[in-house]
Amino acid sequence: MIGVGKMKQYTNVLDKPLSRGRQEVSLSAFAFLFSELVQYNQTQVDNIAELERRLEDAGYAVGARVLELLCHREKGNRRETRLLGILSFVHSTVWKVLFGKVADSLEKGTEHEDEYMISEKELLVNRFISVPKDMGAFNCGAFVAGIVKGVLDGAGFPAVVTAHFVPVDGQQRPRTTILIKFAEEVLRRESRLG
Amino acid sequence: MIMCVAVVGHQNNPLYLQSFTEADDALKLHHIVHCSLDVVDERVNNPKKSGPTLNETFLGMLYPTENYKVYGYLTNTKVKFLMVTTDLDVKDADVRSFFRRFHAAYVDAVSNPFHVPGKKITSNAFAERVSGIVKSFGPVTTG
Repeated sequence: MIGVGKMKQYTNVLDKPLSRGRQEVSLSAFAFLFSELVQYNQTQVDNIAELERRLEDAGYAVGARVLELLCHREKGNRRETRLLGILSFVHSTVWKVLFGKVADSLEKGTEHEDEYMISEKELLVNRFISVPKDMGAFNCGAFVAGIVKGVLDGAGFPAVVTAHFVPVDGQQRPRTTILIKFAEEVLRRESRLG
Repeated sequence: MIMCVAVVGHQNNPLYLQSFTEADDALKLHHIVHCSLDVVDERVNNPKKSGPTLNETFLGMLYPTENYKVYGYLTNTKVKFLMVTTDLDVKDADVRSFFRRFHAAYVDAVSNPFHVPGKKITSNAFAERVSGIVKSFGPVTTG
């Protein structure tokens, strides 16, 4: 860091030291890259389920690496062994690192014991995407679902993660919900840990 | 003097094994690392109340011919780092800082999009960084 006390006037912009840069990527760059990713996958598959699966696989790889990175960066890292612990980790830390804010809400499903939902008013990846009617219920949030799946699998909580649109009254664009359904063994382990 | 470092995946598959002394053969080091995996598993399954991330195995005289210690470290994804050293009085803080830097190098290696998780780490940059970390390992007070 240049000496805080003295301010040097640089006559030539080339003489300025390189700044470390903000740890952010421009949204437009990411949106462009993501749209290319979706388009590329669209040409390779015949149906929607396959497209969702491909996006999810792409997100899975990201999730696995994000988990390693975050656990290293967090000082005083503790290994999450409890369900609520890992869920709140995903909901706050992962979301903050990836999207710059924590997720809107984390809820427990009412019908089944093993279902949890993370909702977001507008997923960052979906911001510049509008899905044509003939694609039905396709949601590019499958990418984010893949990321969450990668994080959970890496931490030892196998789960099935999907993204859904949930219409909300009073808003023209539906809310996006990431539905997490944990595997049997996770629930058994959780009940054993008490 | 660090003899070797090893990275073992979450299914106890070896991801990386590097030895730093020419005299010993790799097989013996493999065997040592393999035996210490059992101790790690034992610690993981019966955690002491606080459940810490750092896991240290301290084996003393395992081999009649030489003394060494094996230190272990467990990451959040059940990937284990093991380090075999022949120092007799290595400090706890040194080992922790070693593992922290090793973890940083590991995270960088895994972030490689071409790295397949579960396969061996083949990155040369990772190997160089690890050698650098190992070389700079040692008691802070030297001479």
